Amino acid sequence: MTLKSVIIASLILAGILFANDIKNLGEKLTLNESTAISEINKAPESFLGKTVLVEGRVIDVCKKRGCWVKIAGDKEYESILVKVEDGVIVFPVEAKGKMAKVEGTIEKVEYTLEQTKERAKQKCEMEGKEFDEAKVTKPDVMYRLRAIGAAIEM
Amino acid sequence: MKIRKWLRILHRDIGYLGVGLTVVFAVSGIAVNHINDWNPNYSIENSITKIDVVPNLDGEEMVKHVLNELKISEKPNGWHRTSPQRLQIFLEGITLDVNLKNGHIVQEKIEPRFMLRAFNILHLNEPKKAWTWFSDLYAVSLLFLAISGVFFLKGKKGWKWRGTWMVAIGVVIPYLFLLYYS
Repeated sequence: MTLKSVIIASLILAGILFANDIKNLGEKLTLNESTAISEINKAPESFLGKTVLVEGRVIDVCKKRGCWVKIAGDKEYESILVKVEDGVIVFPVEAKGKMAKVEGTIEKVEYTLEQTKERAKQKCEMEGKEFDEAKVTKPDVMYRLRAIGAAIEM
Repeated sequence: MKIRKWLRILHRDIGYLGVGLTVVFAVSGIAVNHINDWNPNYSIENSITKIDVVPNLDGEEMVKHVLNELKISEKPNGWHRTSPQRLQIFLEGITLDVNLKNGHIVQEKIEPRFMLRAFNILHLNEPKKAWTWFSDLYAVSLLFLAISGVFFLKGKKGWKWRGTWMVAIGVVIPYLFLLYYS
């Protein structure tokens, strides 16, 4: 057996050994019990600053930097935005459609009225609806999960 | 004399060891530098198709109906209703975004870019852990290559004339950029 074939065989073997179905990102998950996303969405203020573990299907991923994902809730039409510090965790785009567990703290983001209008406009454009600026009268508030660790079933 | 000899030997061998990683970091560096113009990690294709208006069925049944209409036999990884009008179906590498009201479907196909995705994972230190230390070691070896390279040659082509000027130019150029953009 030549040196080249030994190297190639070792690389293939390493590929098989290191292949993993669960992709762990960031810090190791510490919580065993998950909180339903619907519970968080129902009373987000009561979860502010608390560390929670959420579970669900990844329904969207930041395509450029992998700096956020959306996790589907346990109830229809519900989801939660998961944000990470750029570069600390990079969510792979291949995670879309896969089941994930994410741990982090719930935080509140308050938008100005201008920002709220811009967001509403973008949403309307995406959904092909007509945007009526007059209907946006209050600044928006968003609750999201600031993640420190995640495990994705790849 | 002896120091120069050792510098040359170390420079040569560390240089050989660093070829692979230098290619990875350089190619990925160019790719990521232009992140505002393209996606350096994935190729994303969107196409639009249309089916008849989707009847009001149960979630699973609705997914089956859409896949049948599109003649897709693959079993989906999952699905999600994002709103009463929108259904997402997740296949391997493909997401179908179905507008239930008008039957419009946006099909998003995502594929990691050949080699580049792997290069970027390493360059942007996605694995963290031991890779952080290994890439630090690589950075230190680059420092060694840069510094040892300066002291290779003696005389006019070395540090005494040409070397000094070339190094000075290499330092001044980024400094001028910094002055201009700050």
